[in-house]
Amino acid sequence: MARTKILQVSSLRKSFKKIQAVKDISFSLEQGDIFAFIGPNGAGKTTSMRILLDIIKADSGTITWNINGKECRLPPSSDIGYLPEERGLYADLPIIRSLVYLASIRGMNPSKANMAAMEWLERLELADRANEKLQTLSKGNQQKIQFVASILHKPTFAILDEPFSGLDPQNQEKFIEYIKELNEKGTTILLSSHQMPLVEKIAHKVFLMNSGEALFNGTLTDIYKNFGQQHIIDISFTNDIPHEKLHLLKYAENIAGIGENLVKVTFHPIAELKQILGNLAKIEGIANIKSHNSSLHDIFLKIVKEH
Amino acid sequence: MNYYKQVLTVTLWEYRRFFKLKNELLSIAIMLLIFTASYFAGKFSAAGFSEKPILTVLKDLNPELTTMLSEAYTIQEILPGEKEQYLKKMAQTKEGFLLEHSTEGFTLQAFKKSGKLQAMRKTLNDYHQVQVMQKIGLSSENLNFVLSPATLEEHYLYETGTKGRTILAYFFAGLMILAVFLSFAYQFTAITGEKQLKITEQIVSAIKPQVWMDGKILGITLTGLSSMLTYSIISILGGILFFQFTGASITNILQFLHLPSILLFLAFTLMGILLWNAFLAAIASMITDPNNSGKSSVMLLPVLFVVASFSVIRDPDNGMSVFLSWFPLTSATAMPMRWVTTEVEWWQLFGSYAGLIITFYLLRKLAAKIFHVSILMSGKEPSLREVIKLVKAE
Repeated sequence: MARTKILQVSSLRKSFKKIQAVKDISFSLEQGDIFAFIGPNGAGKTTSMRILLDIIKADSGTITWNINGKECRLPPSSDIGYLPEERGLYADLPIIRSLVYLASIRGMNPSKANMAAMEWLERLELADRANEKLQTLSKGNQQKIQFVASILHKPTFAILDEPFSGLDPQNQEKFIEYIKELNEKGTTILLSSHQMPLVEKIAHKVFLMNSGEALFNGTLTDIYKNFGQQHIIDISFTNDIPHEKLHLLKYAENIAGIGENLVKVTFHPIAELKQILGNLAKIEGIANIKSHNSSLHDIFLKIVKEH
Repeated sequence: MNYYKQVLTVTLWEYRRFFKLKNELLSIAIMLLIFTASYFAGKFSAAGFSEKPILTVLKDLNPELTTMLSEAYTIQEILPGEKEQYLKKMAQTKEGFLLEHSTEGFTLQAFKKSGKLQAMRKTLNDYHQVQVMQKIGLSSENLNFVLSPATLEEHYLYETGTKGRTILAYFFAGLMILAVFLSFAYQFTAITGEKQLKITEQIVSAIKPQVWMDGKILGITLTGLSSMLTYSIISILGGILFFQFTGASITNILQFLHLPSILLFLAFTLMGILLWNAFLAAIASMITDPNNSGKSSVMLLPVLFVVASFSVIRDPDNGMSVFLSWFPLTSATAMPMRWVTTEVEWWQLFGSYAGLIITFYLLRKLAAKIFHVSILMSGKEPSLREVIKLVKAE
């Protein structure tokens, strides 16, 4: 059964003075999607998100929301959650007060907001600090509070700009868990991120941007199918890496050191694995060989490099 | 969630954020303490002054003059031979007054000029007049007749308001300055501070800039009004204490409580504070860093305008005063001041008030537009020209 299109964006453009930040991009999200904007700095991800929320106006293009069967130019704020890239909360006020206020302006009843906030704080093991000022928390915990502030009112659609930035690996995993849970409870997610391994774990669809242009728009499966055909071989050596011999390997497109005596070699899709392994066998000092497909990170770098 | 509910949420948030009842009560207590302490300190020092100063005279001074001087001074008499010793002592102790009388007139010697000698000068003049009158044979009745003023019957078409109402006008203008000063500080925290803390993007993704701006203006105005109320309570309590201490009739306070005047001043003051808050909010929206912004000084403009309107009291009917009472940036204080000092028609009051309302309405719209275009400019502060260009483009 086809899912409802919750957001449809067509031919969006935005320029700042002479810089074209967003160049004619189109995409759509279906209800229940986790849709990831990926792209280098200055790709136009944040600008696109701000346009969706009407914080800045597009020069041209159309945006159509369809929330709970109602088409609109901009949904009610109670249906939208937003975690901006530039984080900030009331540092000198009690945590619980800020959370309740931010949920209230999105239409949530203050007493319900208070209950929901306390539930989240308990989950984050911060319930005993609910009445403390935000500035007394560690940076990681402040990030968690910021995240809670953006989704406390249980939105239908959440826009999370770089939700993993500044988090340690342990907290990154926790955030993945929170976002997945939010999605399972019915919230459609549009996020942006630089951390490709995290996007791989969470996103259903990706939208790759560079310099304001759309380079890829589709599912993770599609992107691997279209751009992930290269052979990638991690090779570890007993002694020093013989770079000159590796560069002579046929169809080797990229050679990158990824550790002490460890190197990652990317081969053109035309090369056959049997042939690659035959050539590698001629190099002395190989301790271990591991073959795998291109990761999203590899694909991202490749597409952006070729653009 | 409709516009009014959202504005109310933001207004209450700003009000609760800035208005601290505990701090206000503390400031009332401190002010009353200061008032009581200054009253008793003043009374104590006045008691010190009430003791008659010592005036030294030579023993040969006319007894009639000595008697006259003794009303204001404790007279100390010395012999002519003791004069040199007295003057030496005066140089050392740096105090004392020595009065001598000769055929040429009087001679006073003191360490330095003193206000304590005013009564002496008056007594010497009175004594001198009596002496001269006796010399030319003029009676004191005749002298009073010569010096009596011309008879002038005065009729005025407009009777000025009482002094109490003028004081009331000053009182409200003072409260307005206080409220605007407080707003100046709060607007920086509420708008520029939020921009610095990078909260604004999250807020305006939830509510329209106009809602945010109206909530800020109303919340901070409410805070200013609460502080005005606090200081009014302090003034009333201070007044009651004053009447208690001085024993003056408490009914004296009633001359200030002229209800129509109070209602008029309240209405103009309220709209004036709203207008200035909208103005301050527009300026604060342009400022990225209050410590390094040239626009911060613009925030002091309201006080200049309020103070300028005080000049109305001197000549309420000249062209400048009439202009100030209509010009929206000064009319909130200037029009009530004209009203208590000259004849002002009702249509003028309503016209001036309508001007205030319209200007406030437009300023709050402008403030929201400026905020909207400058919200994401957290790096370089936009110049006034850039802001105007962006607002026009909006």
